[in-house]
Amino acid sequence: MIVTKNWLNEWIDLSDVNIADLEKTFNAIGLEVDRSVTYTIPKKIIVGEVLECEKHPDADKLNVCKVDIGSSIRQIVCGAANVRAGIKVAVAVLGAKMPSGMDIKPVKLRGVDSEGMICSSSEIGLPDLEKGIMVLDESIGTLKLGRELSEYPSLNDSLIELELTANRGDCLSIRGVARDLSASYNRPIRDCKESEEEDRNMGIGRVLQLKSDESLDLSLRYRAIDFKSVELPLVVRLRLAMIEEKKSSELEDLLFYATYNTGVVLHAYNGSTFNVNADEKAVATIKTDEKNFPSVFGAKKASVVGVKQMKESKAEEEGLLFLEASYIAPDIISKKNHENRTEVGDIFYRTSRGSEPDLNLGLRYFLHLLESHSISKIYGGSLELHSPVDETIISISLSEINAMIGMDIEKKVVTQILKGLGFDLRQSQSDNFNISVPQYRHDISHKQDIVEEVVRLVGIDNIKSKAFVFSEKNRKSDDYSEYLRRKAFRHASADNGFYESVHFVFNERITLEKHGFTCIDQDKELLNPITNTFDTLRPTLLMGLLEAASRNVKFGRKQVKLFELGSVFSTQRDESLKLGFIQSGDLDSDTLLNAGKPASIGFEQFSQRISNVIGDFKLVAYESTHKLAHPYQCAQVIINGAVVGEMFKLHPDVANAFDLRDTMMCEIDFSALKSDLKVAKEYSKYQASFRDLSLVIHQDLKYSEIEKIIEAAKTQELIRFYPVDRYQDEAMGENVSLTLRFVLQSHSKTLEEEDITNAMDSILGACETELGLSLR
Amino acid sequence: MEEWYKAIEEASSVESLESIRVSVFGKKGILAAEFAKMKTAANEEKAKIAKDLNIHKGKMTSLLAERKMTLQTLELRARMEAEKIDVSLFSSRSEKGAVHPVMDTMDKIVDYFASMNFSVQTGPMIEDDFHNFEALNLPKYHPARDMQDTFYFKDEMLLRTHTSPVQIRTMLHTKPPIRMIAPGSVFRRDYDITHTPMFHQVEGLLVDKEGEVSFANLKYILEDFLKYMFGDIEVRFRPSFFPFTEPSAEVDISCVFCKGEGCRVCSKTGWLEVLGCGIVDPNVFKAVGYKDVSGYAFGLGVERFAMLIHQIGDLRSLFEGDVRLLEQFR
Ligand SMILES: [Zn+2]
Repeated sequence: MIVTKNWLNEWIDLSDVNIADLEKTFNAIGLEVDRSVTYTIPKKIIVGEVLECEKHPDADKLNVCKVDIGSSIRQIVCGAANVRAGIKVAVAVLGAKMPSGMDIKPVKLRGVDSEGMICSSSEIGLPDLEKGIMVLDESIGTLKLGRELSEYPSLNDSLIELELTANRGDCLSIRGVARDLSASYNRPIRDCKESEEEDRNMGIGRVLQLKSDESLDLSLRYRAIDFKSVELPLVVRLRLAMIEEKKSSELEDLLFYATYNTGVVLHAYNGSTFNVNADEKAVATIKTDEKNFPSVFGAKKASVVGVKQMKESKAEEEGLLFLEASYIAPDIISKKNHENRTEVGDIFYRTSRGSEPDLNLGLRYFLHLLESHSISKIYGGSLELHSPVDETIISISLSEINAMIGMDIEKKVVTQILKGLGFDLRQSQSDNFNISVPQYRHDISHKQDIVEEVVRLVGIDNIKSKAFVFSEKNRKSDDYSEYLRRKAFRHASADNGFYESVHFVFNERITLEKHGFTCIDQDKELLNPITNTFDTLRPTLLMGLLEAASRNVKFGRKQVKLFELGSVFSTQRDESLKLGFIQSGDLDSDTLLNAGKPASIGFEQFSQRISNVIGDFKLVAYESTHKLAHPYQCAQVIINGAVVGEMFKLHPDVANAFDLRDTMMCEIDFSALKSDLKVAKEYSKYQASFRDLSLVIHQDLKYSEIEKIIEAAKTQELIRFYPVDRYQDEAMGENVSLTLRFVLQSHSKTLEEEDITNAMDSILGACETELGLSLR
Repeated sequence: MEEWYKAIEEASSVESLESIRVSVFGKKGILAAEFAKMKTAANEEKAKIAKDLNIHKGKMTSLLAERKMTLQTLELRARMEAEKIDVSLFSSRSEKGAVHPVMDTMDKIVDYFASMNFSVQTGPMIEDDFHNFEALNLPKYHPARDMQDTFYFKDEMLLRTHTSPVQIRTMLHTKPPIRMIAPGSVFRRDYDITHTPMFHQVEGLLVDKEGEVSFANLKYILEDFLKYMFGDIEVRFRPSFFPFTEPSAEVDISCVFCKGEGCRVCSKTGWLEVLGCGIVDPNVFKAVGYKDVSGYAFGLGVERFAMLIHQIGDLRSLFEGDVRLLEQFR
């Protein structure tokens, strides 16, 4: 909603309020200031009158004018098409400095002297009006020749754009905003100027009849006008330009202007709209239409009340027209439109938020304007359809108000605020208020709404903060523990060199399917995705990580390490949390340590890093269900015997497609990662012995098999074992040598050489019998 | 004798000193030889020779010890000098990664409210109309629904547009009093310079007996919270409108970039809007079956906080996994 200070001044006296104070007040009462612009017309731009206007002898498009600027008469050459003798105009005299930076000096234009410039609105810093120069009229004040234009308040106005919340339809008009200010500044709203009702030739009843058989919750009021053309005064045109509104005709402009001023919804119908039968009186029938909206019918549907006016019914030409003011409650019209969607016109924005119910106000305002700027004749009387409205009464006590606010506010302050807002206080005795709510405040329906009004006008900044006193209670929740667990793993990931990456949960379905992922079932899919590339919810974190890594490489990164802890969705759209990692390119930064030539990331180092984050796990080779994985470097991650995720090298084809070098990825079910309390086990106090064993095995024999056999042998002294070397040369053919290191220790003594030999024999024996392995 | 004193003083290494010691004190050394000569000397001279030799022995012993100490020190010094390196070569850069600034900001927010004895509650991202709208005093025809462009699924479920449904869920399965926050991702169908289809919110709710919870209480905790997050700033409350609270307010802080002078970020106003809050609307309590209670609620966007705290200009860069941005938060 755009207002200007001068415009507001029509409805409330703001002459002593400066613009900064006005903005502060708006913010304080909940009408947020979005933008503010002040127009200032430079000095030496003054009122002048064109006395004579003749064609330039050597230039078709130029006119040579004699202009009276009060103190003297100057010759000014002007190129505007609309310049003519007798009009009053804005003249930039010699020495003026225009907003564009141009200085006005005496010049010769095609050989003719010119001392000054006749200005258009935009040349003096005002919004663009019609083509050509700006013709002045007395709507801006008395036009005294030579007077500085900077002295006219309506030309030097301040525009303020307010961001209105959806409940404040009552402030969608200049008068509505002024009404809110009147409560804040505690000063009255000015009355609307009355049109002269006396000399009407004929009553409206002679030309129009209203018909309605249904009981409809709305108000309509009609006036009839014998319309003649209207000339909009400068101040109206200027204000419409400031709010960037220009309708198709001057009549439409005037209707819009009146609605914008008063909040009353106004329409004008051409006289023939309601001519149902030729030679008979026009009849307007009000009934519900096929979609159950209350509508106005003539021969055809003329308008849907509060929704739109049909184009054919609009008054455009001179002659008989019917002026209609309407009101329909915003909740009724919103509900109807929700139940039975229909095409809505511009007016719906206003009616669905609440237009002004005082129909006569809007009609009077419009007719007064029309009478002042047109020779149109207005018929006497009006026709109306008015359904009774239930009065909203709210009872609340001062102590209730004060408890909700948390501060003691005096009764007289509350009374003044409510009265200022137009609320009617009924039999308010002792501590109690019985408040009748005006119809235009449809947003006020219970006690808290009243408190809100008080808070707003007292000013929240004037409420003293007070700590809430509460009883101690254990509020630790499972969700909080879970939150802390996430935080711990995120920090562990970062500590191990990974950067946390956050991606939208949206992915592209065809891309996912192309890479072998299964998406949400079609009947549960997103109905209104924002773009094609975000048309489904992700079943994996991997695609997002892959794309992010690819972007980083394009920016010139040689090493990318990212992780994400985020939600993914199953085919049934069940949400679960995954922890995903990607490392691409260099193993480490290029430093002295690697002579600037770091190796590429490999499976072993990646696995080690992931283990630093999520703890111990085992890897078992498997074939992935998607197509991102290298078929021979792909593993299931197993913790405590359960599969919790997968780790793999990126398939070379995919790496290529994403411009990535060697890349490792891993995705883990976050729910499988435990951060349980640690229980200390008993540990041996005797020295541990280390023994290495080199086995010659077939290259396809998996370490996990050997591991299984050794574990099954349950050698008592064996604490742990792990691979330390893998070797292969040509002479070995399809075999490899695998060296394992065994840690042996007893709980009861230092192991003798004999004990160690026995233990190692039992391990080797198991390998020989179960796998047919031999020592190297 | 004298030349040995000189030899000790001039010995250049611990090894040469040792060979001098052997030459002097060894079984075949010069002292042994001198003592041997004594046997042939006259008896009256023996005592004097012995005395002289013992004096020499004593002097030389201490001279040797002293010289050895000096040489050892010199040698250690020389060895260390040889081990000299250019330490400036090894100025190092951490190989650590970093948590995401938005998540880190969320953690800080959660830390504050957890320390103020708010419980942390979470809920599903895929919600139904009742929890996301209806129960929050947003009936289907409400014009305020325009403010939230919602992602729907084919089966009429939706992606939550705020974390408020978590408050509804909590109220539906717990009795008052309640003090909770709900951190999490939310979704709006909006994608431009200042909007992303997914972002993060933290919303808070406090419910206690009727007449207990006031607007003044809400002001208190939010002022304290904002000072904890942003340091020395001014806080301003402006009346506003949200369907689920009444009275409602938007909360501004003095611009952290220009200290309230007015700049591009704050659109020359000197203020930045950071929070929405209010007293819980009675219709919300009605929807969850609460009676005789009062409460306050608030909500904030985590991205906005992170961008203001870390002076990050581009919202969308937060979702691109761009290491150039992320590595600054190590
Ligand atoms: Zn600023």
